[in-house]
Amino acid sequence: MAIRAVEVWKVYGAKDARVEALQGVSIEVEEGERVALLGKSGSGKSTLLNLLGGLDRPSSGGLRVGGHDLDRLSGREMARFRSTTVGIIFQSFNLIPSRSAVENVELPMIFAGRSPRDRRAAARRALEAVGLGARMDHRPDQLSGGESQRVAVARALANRPRVVLADEPTGNLDSQTARQVMSLILDHVHEHAATLVLVTHDEELAAACTERVIRLVDGRIAADTP
Amino acid sequence: MRWFDLLLWALAALGQQKLRTSLTTLGVLFGAFVLAASLSINEGVQETIQREASKGDASRKVTVYPSWRAKRGSNQDEVKVKGRMSPDRRERIRKALADGGGRGGAAERVDLTSDRLETLARLPHVRRLIPIVGGQVVATLGNRPEDASVSSGAGEDPEFRRQIVAGRAFEAEDERSVLLSEMFAYRIGLVDDADIAQVIGKPLRIELWSPEEGPSFEVSLAGRSRGGRGRDEWLALRQLAWQIPAMLDQFRLTGDERSILEKAIRRPSATPAPPSVADDYRVVGIFRALTHEEDKDAWSRFPAGTDLILPRQTAVDLFFRDPARRKEGLAHAVLLIDDMRNVKEVVDRVEALGLRSESIVRFVERERLTYLLIFGGMTCVAAVALLVSALGIANTMLMSVLQRRREIGIMKAVGAADWQLQALFLVEGGLIGLIGGASGLLLAWTISFPGDAWVRSMVRRDMQIDLSGSIFAFPTRIALIVLFFTIGVTVVAALYPARRASKVDPVTALRHD
Repeated sequence: MAIRAVEVWKVYGAKDARVEALQGVSIEVEEGERVALLGKSGSGKSTLLNLLGGLDRPSSGGLRVGGHDLDRLSGREMARFRSTTVGIIFQSFNLIPSRSAVENVELPMIFAGRSPRDRRAAARRALEAVGLGARMDHRPDQLSGGESQRVAVARALANRPRVVLADEPTGNLDSQTARQVMSLILDHVHEHAATLVLVTHDEELAAACTERVIRLVDGRIAADTP
Repeated sequence: MRWFDLLLWALAALGQQKLRTSLTTLGVLFGAFVLAASLSINEGVQETIQREASKGDASRKVTVYPSWRAKRGSNQDEVKVKGRMSPDRRERIRKALADGGGRGGAAERVDLTSDRLETLARLPHVRRLIPIVGGQVVATLGNRPEDASVSSGAGEDPEFRRQIVAGRAFEAEDERSVLLSEMFAYRIGLVDDADIAQVIGKPLRIELWSPEEGPSFEVSLAGRSRGGRGRDEWLALRQLAWQIPAMLDQFRLTGDERSILEKAIRRPSATPAPPSVADDYRVVGIFRALTHEEDKDAWSRFPAGTDLILPRQTAVDLFFRDPARRKEGLAHAVLLIDDMRNVKEVVDRVEALGLRSESIVRFVERERLTYLLIFGGMTCVAAVALLVSALGIANTMLMSVLQRRREIGIMKAVGAADWQLQALFLVEGGLIGLIGGASGLLLAWTISFPGDAWVRSMVRRDMQIDLSGSIFAFPTRIALIVLFFTIGVTVVAALYPARRASKVDPVTALRHD
């Protein structure tokens, strides 16, 4: 089992300002399975992805991702989990503007303590794999949107994560570039038998790229269909 | 994350904000500069004082004088205080009487007798004891007697040998020779250069008058210059002093006053006593007075205006042949100590014997304390300047954390642990301290050269003294202190911003941007 969420609640604020972003969500995802989280804006899909990626902690409920019980991990272990077990791809790329493409890809490996020579070689291979072998030393402001997202994909996959979490990765891209980027992600998932959780509101993309669709409405699972 | 990566990452972050980094570093630089300059001048001035004081033997000399001390075994409880007074005042007076105070209390005089000189010579760390004999004598060259002052000295000091203008200095401490001052020679009529050359080898008779055998009164003429006193005048005044006791009836005195004086004075004698000791010494040389420049450096030369100098042991033998002076001891003696660092120990031992002492070490220590206080104040100002710049650093880094929230969020999302982010900001702070501190040190060191030249020229112009060595000192210790302090201050200043950085919520940081 790659992911198991049991009665996960995420509540923000208190009293009148209380917002229940997730209301007792329970899901199970097998190793190598490709799952889409579908829902409107504010349905809680990004919140669930953040919890699965260890960026946030649930208000209650249990979470097990890639063999780790997230509620039992210390801050330091959680950081290690983020840099090695999961790879997160954001809609807005989230590259560090002052760093070159290769340095951005190196980032998780730096925090994981890999040697400079080792991580530079891995980052170069990852960038070549996404077709950016000639743009390694370019900074994000010198790259197009598609190229930036490919750098972000390379960064997320460079450490060969067991679970890939993609939060609307094609949301800011044209359809052709979006296909290229999804193709890169799926290639990695197939090649390494990784688990994919794709957050999107694009029904077609979900159908094309995943084998199971979980629909979220107001923080609850409305449907879970293959 | 490796330390090397931390360092590179922090350097890159500082490089991104060149202007802000430069301004922050500039604040640290000035603080470090003032701190380094203050410490360096303090060290240099202390060394200069030590160096100047150590010229020759002056710093290793302790001059010992006779003194008073409470009589051994005197019991404070046995001292009775008359009159009605408060208990506190009675206690103070009783204690003063018990301590002696040199005024009829239970105190005894500790003289520099020959026994005590031997004790002093045997003290640990005393390499040599130099007895100093001085006083008034009557010196007769041929048939011309003259009142003269005499000092003792072997003339072994190379500086003194330069003062010899004719003849030679002493070759032994006990030779029966005498040196004449150029002015004394002139006073007794040796005016021409040829006279000076002829006097070498001639005998000089020195007569010592015992104060015990002298008259009860001392008579001198007010306003007479030294040069105007001749032996005849001195003898006339001495005759007058002898005759005063017999003439007490002629003065307008009350009965009480007369009876007090009659009780106090020695029994009148019909004739003046002859000199207690008299002997002949061979004139071996003439010495000149110190020049103005030499006088500035002279810490313990012969008293200015000494007419005659006898070899040390010869002078001691002459003075101790007089029973009264033997009992009274010498006016002072100089102890030459093996090392300046042992002077304090010797001084303590001398004072434990009941004697009084003087050494320039105390003066030097007082001077050093003064400068230590001044530069201590300057160092505090520098420390405050650094602390103020630390506030600037804290503010700048806090702004940096706020501006880099997104970057911090990204780093957290890809696996940065809280401690790694904290370390990143602390290293940034430490680098600012290191660069600012090192630059401040370098600036202080660079400025020390023209600064030293300026101070030297000022001292040379105003005080006619050529300082040896620099008044700035940069031992490794100062560099380490400055760097340790600046890095410490900047790292402490970065603590709060670093903590804030580690607490950035990645979800919020990424969502808001």
